[in-house]
Amino acid sequence: MNGPACIFAFSLVISAIEIFTQIFFTIMFSDLESDYINPIDLCYRLNNYVLPEVAIHTFLGTVFLLNGYFFSLLINMPILTFSINKVYTNNYLLDATDIFKTVRNHKKESFVKLGFFLVFFFFSLYRMIMALVDADNI
Amino acid sequence: MASQGAPAHSRRRLYPQQQYDFSAQQPPVVDPAAAAYSASPIYGQSGQPVAGGMFTPATAIPGPVSSAVGSAQIGGPQVGINPAPSYGYNTPGAEAMAGQFGQMNLGASTGAGTPAAAPALPLNSLYNIDLLHQMPPPINDLSLPPPPLILPPTASVTNSPDSNAPYEYMRSTLNAIPATNSLLKKSKLPFALVIRPYASLLDKSKPVQVVGDTVICRCRRCRAYINPFVQFLETGNRWKCNMCNLTNEVPSTFDFNVIKNIASNRYDRAELNHSVVDFIAPPEYMVRPPQPLVYVFVLDISVNAIKNGLLATAVRTIQESLDRIPNKDGRTRIGLIGVDSCLHYFSIPASSEDYVSEPSLLVCPDIEDPFLPVPENLLVTLSNSRENIDNLLSRLPDMFAQNTNQNNALGSALTAAYKLISPVGGKIVCITASLPNVGIGKLEFRDDKKFLGTNKEGTLLQTANSFYKSFAVDCNKQQVSVDMFLFSSSYQDVASLSSLPRFTAGQTHLYPGWSASRSEDAIKFAHELGEHLSQEVALEAVLRVRGSTGLRMNAFYGNFFNRSSDLCSFPTFPRDQSYVVEVSIDETINKSWVPIQSAVLHTTCHGERRIRVTTIAIPTTNLLQDVYASADQVAITAYLTQKAVEKALSSGLGDAREYLQTSLTTMLQTYKKDLMTTNVGASAPLQFSANLRMLPLLVNALIKHVGLRKSAQIPSDLRSAGLCLLSTLPAVHLVKYIHPDFFSLHDMPDEAGNPSEETGEIILPPKLNLTAGNIATHGLYLINDGQILFLWVGRDAVPLLIEDVFGVPSLQHVKAGKAEVPELDNPMNQRVRSIIAKCRESKDQITWPNLYIVREDGDPALRLWASTFLIEDKSDQALSYYQFLGQLRDKVNN
Repeated sequence: MNGPACIFAFSLVISAIEIFTQIFFTIMFSDLESDYINPIDLCYRLNNYVLPEVAIHTFLGTVFLLNGYFFSLLINMPILTFSINKVYTNNYLLDATDIFKTVRNHKKESFVKLGFFLVFFFFSLYRMIMALVDADNI
Repeated sequence: MASQGAPAHSRRRLYPQQQYDFSAQQPPVVDPAAAAYSASPIYGQSGQPVAGGMFTPATAIPGPVSSAVGSAQIGGPQVGINPAPSYGYNTPGAEAMAGQFGQMNLGASTGAGTPAAAPALPLNSLYNIDLLHQMPPPINDLSLPPPPLILPPTASVTNSPDSNAPYEYMRSTLNAIPATNSLLKKSKLPFALVIRPYASLLDKSKPVQVVGDTVICRCRRCRAYINPFVQFLETGNRWKCNMCNLTNEVPSTFDFNVIKNIASNRYDRAELNHSVVDFIAPPEYMVRPPQPLVYVFVLDISVNAIKNGLLATAVRTIQESLDRIPNKDGRTRIGLIGVDSCLHYFSIPASSEDYVSEPSLLVCPDIEDPFLPVPENLLVTLSNSRENIDNLLSRLPDMFAQNTNQNNALGSALTAAYKLISPVGGKIVCITASLPNVGIGKLEFRDDKKFLGTNKEGTLLQTANSFYKSFAVDCNKQQVSVDMFLFSSSYQDVASLSSLPRFTAGQTHLYPGWSASRSEDAIKFAHELGEHLSQEVALEAVLRVRGSTGLRMNAFYGNFFNRSSDLCSFPTFPRDQSYVVEVSIDETINKSWVPIQSAVLHTTCHGERRIRVTTIAIPTTNLLQDVYASADQVAITAYLTQKAVEKALSSGLGDAREYLQTSLTTMLQTYKKDLMTTNVGASAPLQFSANLRMLPLLVNALIKHVGLRKSAQIPSDLRSAGLCLLSTLPAVHLVKYIHPDFFSLHDMPDEAGNPSEETGEIILPPKLNLTAGNIATHGLYLINDGQILFLWVGRDAVPLLIEDVFGVPSLQHVKAGKAEVPELDNPMNQRVRSIIAKCRESKDQITWPNLYIVREDGDPALRLWASTFLIEDKSDQALSYYQFLGQLRDKVNN
């Protein structure tokens, strides 16, 4: 397997992980809305995953940057900037005291991310296959 | 209805002062609702509020219906089971009355197009007024009761006059609920409830009926409590839940008096007669045995609190309040923690006659990881250790009189206090005069003058350290609530500190510039802390609000923690706050009225588990005009205030003001577009429903309020404290807080200031509009917003008046600023003092307002401050009320 194929295989894996994380988040938020979980437990559980989620996404962005895949980086930028900005301004953690007022926004955010990563997953798949095909042609 | 209003309107416009004087001038159509309105004080006329205004003409009509049910009740005890009260439908009386309604309801189109709704009663009628022609606004409207809730006479099973909730306990923004969500959306009016389960600090000042036999009859499915609006079926063996329509069994003990061991009449039961009842809960409602009341005082002993005399005053007040703290069962416990840069624990051994054991002081310098130095005697039972507590408290100020420590580790002290009481739960009372600058949860001085008045100001209102939120969550788990009494002379970060009370159902009290050397300050604090400690606070409480099928409680506002999407938890339940619940309509409602019920499960401070249930029944409608005609301006203001405070805390003050303005504009636009038939041209008048005519003034006042006003002069601490009050004050006090009462004292009527012959209460002078136009230079005025009193002395006040009121020869000798009116032996002085005392008297608030004497020729800062309360006038950054209306008109017409 050649370099580009490796990178897009990697981005494929990352997208898959992100998709699962966002599905998990969405399910948890729905649970909260239907009272299957209390806000304290929810925040305690989810807050463990917020930073790693941003970290792997940032790592993916860095890999694209270092290898010069600027288009891939560009399409990741909006969400990446949003996440990093949240961490930077220190309001990335879920807050049990006002979670019921913000849960709708959190859910929306998770949906948007989920949608993006789904698209990006297939984009990565396509690029990986293209890279593999290109490699065979040489 | 609008079409009938129009000609009448144009005719009346010639006599603006006579508008809507229905009693003097009969309107062309008299429908019963209008009669109800004009029977109670009329909008636009100055009149005293009538208590009975709550009830509908239908239920209030004495006669066949009530007697029919009454006779059924008499038959009850003999048969054992009462006939179903739905008999009322078939009695000739009811029919006759229905016919009466039909005749009276000549032109009103209510009921038309409501096939689903059962025979609809004529609801409140809509009266148009032109806001710009109603100048000055009739401020006596603010003290009127909300539009009556009009229910069919058979709605309540007992037809008791107390069957619907009094508005001080629960009021709805809409006293006629739209039957569909689309109508609610179309109306642009908010649908929310203002709930205040307790209307007084002590039970004895407003007693509530208690159901003592632990027969708690609830719906199997929706868990609603039985209430005056249910229906009994099958000769009384079953009851139909009015929330979810499920048929339930009536418990066998329901018609039986367990205490006296005899059969009893169920229609005598309190829960079927009263909308506000306390159930005594059996053990199934307890997670653990009722815990005792616990108070831990966290006292600031750093140099700031010594210098302004706070520690001595606080300790003396606590000592004096020891006998007033609720302690009927002798289990109340007390603890004390002193804090500077170390934690000071006080070990108080039990008082015993055998040997004399002294309280001891334990100092722990470890503030990063606070621990309890000894396992016992830090939290002691008040009754057992009374002498030692007294002994300790009387020596405490001297122990630290020489303290020069400038640091304060409040967060660490709170953690320690939390460790101390977490096994039991209770209240932590923080009395502090410094910014917590060391230890856990330390805060920084961030009050940058540059930020004030800019967009960045919003960040100063947010919590700076996440400790104050995470700690609030921990406190909730262990049923601990925190109250803040804040006294700093400089920046104290009220914004951060207030988030603890906000999420633990406590309260923040700020005393800016407080000093014990001024007796007024000392009295104020001593009074407020004393009242705070002696109120009959409830413990370990949860609030749930249930609505009829189709209604969903959407959002909750107030000081508490949302434990799940529809459950608010209160470690302790204070009696001086109210809560706003936003309701959404999920499904079309096909009943002619719907019940909503709030239930507070709590432990009283006397060790009893109880449930306070409040039920309100509200008629529904399919017509937009009914929705507007029955809207409650005070409740809407309470809702808008909560939303504005939320916006201010999350996205800044500009957004909050914008929100208020937009909400009001959309209401006026909707009113014009959908309810006005003659709306033409850009010069169309600004019309609104008569029952909402004060809403623009209240919104305008809110935009000018110290918590939300656009200004670069207001320190963020004052703003935060203002926002705390806005989001917790009960509706009546909230209205006064944003629109102060304004009295003229030099020319008050003779009876004002003297006790009334009927009630014995002091009569207040008539209220004036808050505008400088009402201030004569020779006058004496009083402004009361519930938190502060201003006594304004005009610059040309006659020496005789000055002599009478202040006992000094001329205006130059009157001492301005925080002061009291001296006690003199002349009628004018006595009347002024009585009025001030009456303004301070309160059975449902702990606040004792300070009096500021303002001389018109005196200190400009003080004068400027007092004049910010004249909210109908133009201020430097805000419009006058008239301009505000003009601006609204332009927006509405474009």
